[in-house]
Amino acid sequence: MRNRVIALGALLLAAPLFAHHGGTSLYDTSKELAQEATVSEFQWTNPHVEVGLDAKGNSGKVRHWLLELPSPPVLVNQGWNRKSLQQGDVIKVSFYPAKSGASVGWLLTLTKADGSQLVGHSKQQ
Amino acid sequence: MHKVRDRFCLSAVGLLGIVVFTSGCSGSRAQTASSGVPDLSGIWLGKAVQSLSPSDPTAKKPGAEGDIPYTPWALARMKAERPATGPHATLENTTDPALKYADPDGYPRASIHPMRFKIVQTPDYIYQLWEYNESWRQIALNRPHSEVPDISWFGESVGKWEGDTLVVDSVGFKDSTWLDPIGHPHSEDLHITERIRRVDHETLVFDFTFDDPKAYTKPWNGEVTFKLKTDGIMTENIYTISDELNFRQRFLNEKPSIPIRPSH
Repeated sequence: MRNRVIALGALLLAAPLFAHHGGTSLYDTSKELAQEATVSEFQWTNPHVEVGLDAKGNSGKVRHWLLELPSPPVLVNQGWNRKSLQQGDVIKVSFYPAKSGASVGWLLTLTKADGSQLVGHSKQQ
Repeated sequence: MHKVRDRFCLSAVGLLGIVVFTSGCSGSRAQTASSGVPDLSGIWLGKAVQSLSPSDPTAKKPGAEGDIPYTPWALARMKAERPATGPHATLENTTDPALKYADPDGYPRASIHPMRFKIVQTPDYIYQLWEYNESWRQIALNRPHSEVPDISWFGESVGKWEGDTLVVDSVGFKDSTWLDPIGHPHSEDLHITERIRRVDHETLVFDFTFDDPKAYTKPWNGEVTFKLKTDGIMTENIYTISDELNFRQRFLNEKPSIPIRPSH
């Protein structure tokens, strides 16, 4: 019983945290970045699919990016599946970066080494 | 692929405890079920809809659309809402109950995500199964509403066939849900009439009439169109606290208030 009370308390404490990601509000939709990058992780998960990337900047320094995609049911309709990307894939990617300057972003499109293209989020008007 | 589709159908039977009308899960598609009424069964997908206002579907002027007859109560509520998606999105201050509290979307908002739903049709009930949060509703056919309908997320729905149109009457909606992602409000007195029609093999049209005297000075209409998907795929989408905490830690660098469930 005590454990149940503690579990319920933890749930209630966590509930206000549900103010969820908020779509594009995190990102600078006036600034679309294009990068060549190597995939370091691809998580086919809810609420949003995540792609980790290592991209070499103009200075030659590698920056790690974490980009969000729509959720799996939306991506399935756009031709994705959980094996669409593999660790080590070299891709060209376009995305909106975070307003905060953090290395996270909102993935728009990516092109794989074989030339095939996958669409993530829609561009904002 | 047929195995996957059949497995989903069997799962639906297990979940709902119903006998699936076999044409809904077979490989062949019939326009008309064997009982003589149109066959609406299948997997359907629409476009993302921001607003059910016919004149402002992309929600450029929420609260001032011109075709939504707000009462002062509803207009004040509409102006106070802060959606979490679309051109007026906010993150920290959103009032969107589905995203702020993970509340169920309610109806008809559940149908206007860019995600699929499946219709399972039996002679006595029609079931709508949504990918989004794995939620569902039932439409009881040729029956009156219960004497005292519960107030619930998806309301109580009864329906009947009028020619080739399924007419659905729904009441008993929890007033905290929004009709659409931009935040059109309603009260517990909301009464929705839907006219659902398969206008051709590939196309299903829902015509909504929203009647809610507390929120709107007269009934108003919205229409949504869905296209048939024949690949049999329904993808899981469940919104959990653990996934949300993980997202917020990784993308917002927020320390979780409780330990995140490890993924094994």
